[in-house]
Amino acid sequence: MILDLERFQLQERPRWSRLESLLADLESRPDRLLKPTESELLQELYAQTAVDLNRVTHGALAPELRQYLERLVARAYAELYYARPTRSELWQPCRWVRILTAFPEAFRRQSRYFALALLVTLLGSALGGLAVRFDPASVDVLLPADYLRNPGLRVHQEENTQNRHLNSAQIEAAFSAQLITHNIEVSLLAAGLGVTFGIGTALLLFENGLLLGAVAVRYTQQGFGLFLTAWLLPHGAFEIPSILIAGQAGFYLARLLLRRREDRNMRQSIREWLLLICGLALMLVWAGLMEAFFSQRHAPVLPYGFKVAIGAAELVLLAIYFLFTGRRETGARTGVGVLAEGP
Amino acid sequence: MKTSRQDPTTAELAVATPEGVLFRLPLAGPAPRLYAMLLDTAIVLAAVNGLGYLLYWIFAKAPGFGVMTATLAEFAIGFAYGALLEGFWNGQTLGKRLFHLRVIDDCGLPLRIEQAWVRNLMRVVDALPLAYLVGGISVLTSPIMQRFGDRVAGTLVIRETPLAAPADQASTRQKYNSFTQYPAIAMRLRRMATPELAALIQDALRRRNELASYARREIYRELAAYLQSEIAAFPDELVEILSDEQYLTNAAGTLFGDERRTILPIALGAQDRPNPV
Repeated sequence: MILDLERFQLQERPRWSRLESLLADLESRPDRLLKPTESELLQELYAQTAVDLNRVTHGALAPELRQYLERLVARAYAELYYARPTRSELWQPCRWVRILTAFPEAFRRQSRYFALALLVTLLGSALGGLAVRFDPASVDVLLPADYLRNPGLRVHQEENTQNRHLNSAQIEAAFSAQLITHNIEVSLLAAGLGVTFGIGTALLLFENGLLLGAVAVRYTQQGFGLFLTAWLLPHGAFEIPSILIAGQAGFYLARLLLRRREDRNMRQSIREWLLLICGLALMLVWAGLMEAFFSQRHAPVLPYGFKVAIGAAELVLLAIYFLFTGRRETGARTGVGVLAEGP
Repeated sequence: MKTSRQDPTTAELAVATPEGVLFRLPLAGPAPRLYAMLLDTAIVLAAVNGLGYLLYWIFAKAPGFGVMTATLAEFAIGFAYGALLEGFWNGQTLGKRLFHLRVIDDCGLPLRIEQAWVRNLMRVVDALPLAYLVGGISVLTSPIMQRFGDRVAGTLVIRETPLAAPADQASTRQKYNSFTQYPAIAMRLRRMATPELAALIQDALRRRNELASYARREIYRELAAYLQSEIAAFPDELVEILSDEQYLTNAAGTLFGDERRTILPIALGAQDRPNPV
């Protein structure tokens, strides 16, 4: 049927105006609950405007009117099919505290990707370690920084500086912030590079492992294994697992993108990804504070044995946290509904 | 359900609702998105600098802690500005609002808060190696103009120019249309003109005053010649006395205007109705 546009617009315009004002009201006050009559009215106006759109699409050449009706239908569709979370729902503290249990649950659900991240890092470490062990020329390439190449000099400087004066808390505070932001950024990159089907994530983890392995072998070779452990473990107990979890998130993302579009549950999957990121960011805050305020203090101020013990205790607590937190609840709750789920 | 169409000027997302209604949303191209991002960056920088000065003043006696707080706050604001505004302000930051852009779910629904966070956290990838080169390439190669952050979050950016109900179509209304003297040819014009061609004629007339005079003459001449030679040939004695613009005005009147009412009953039998245009 071909429309008489003028008459059609004259007849239908009041209805469009009503829908428009109802939508404007709803959009400006997202917390507003619709009364049953308003809800029915919205549904009815939406259905009628959709019919009008259909008539204009198939019965007239009126691009402006069609655009206008499309916009109106799109807005009404959004109001009908999406319930915004109310402010009171968003600011429930328990909703946010739940991240602390949902994070290890997500970690366990996706543990195979963590295993893959660990494997890639170990491969890198092995290669870095072997290169330093059997090819001294590779030291300059793998360990560009002087303090990594010359462990003896580093240990001597650290221990003597510690004797003269302690780092001020002011410098450590500023340093910790730099560490936290840098580490979170690198972790985000590792997690985000999942979009390269995991290749970027793997390269980043491999490079990280390469450096770790080379440093570990270099220091151990020259008899500073205990110094290195005491230096790295207190913050590394959180920092290295965080990078691995970033790799886990990256591989998880890669697997998701490799799935056929219809097999993906994007809504649930991005929550899972986001949970891993939230959790690792919290871990990196702790790691940054430990690295700035604790790891940089060496013997004789802090005995190496004490530092290693603290690092080991952190590792054990972290393992307990990941393995057991939220385990009893897993059957009852999926753990992915914590991040501002709309009703 | 969604489909998409992209050409250099009119990329759009077509959404089919569960009721079977199909509507289209115009997608935002890279240029307005870039402008909005530049504005947002300027706002973030201003906020971060202001906060930095404030914190240094507050922590005057403990500058290290001032630097720590400022560094962490700057880092958080960098991500949270976009995520919180888009999440709580229905897909818009200040820059997007100014440039009439909105981030939505790729099913045509409003953006969810976690989607806002994901697309903003993914900026670390899109910003690589510098100046959002990766994100820009992703937008240009995506059928629905998504950067990597959008692909992961399942979002897209639409253009949202405020639209009012169109006024009556004054450009096609006229006192007298000489094409009505030839109902069969006018009918042929209505049957043969594709919707795109009809919209082109309407646009050309509506944008009359935006076109330079030589461009207007040329466009109108080409359109009129095309209609006359390929679509519906009106008699020479009529065409000779009409300017190209008048020819197109008559054609638009025939296609869109009141004359249809007078033409249709004369020209059509019950089985011979035109294809809807």
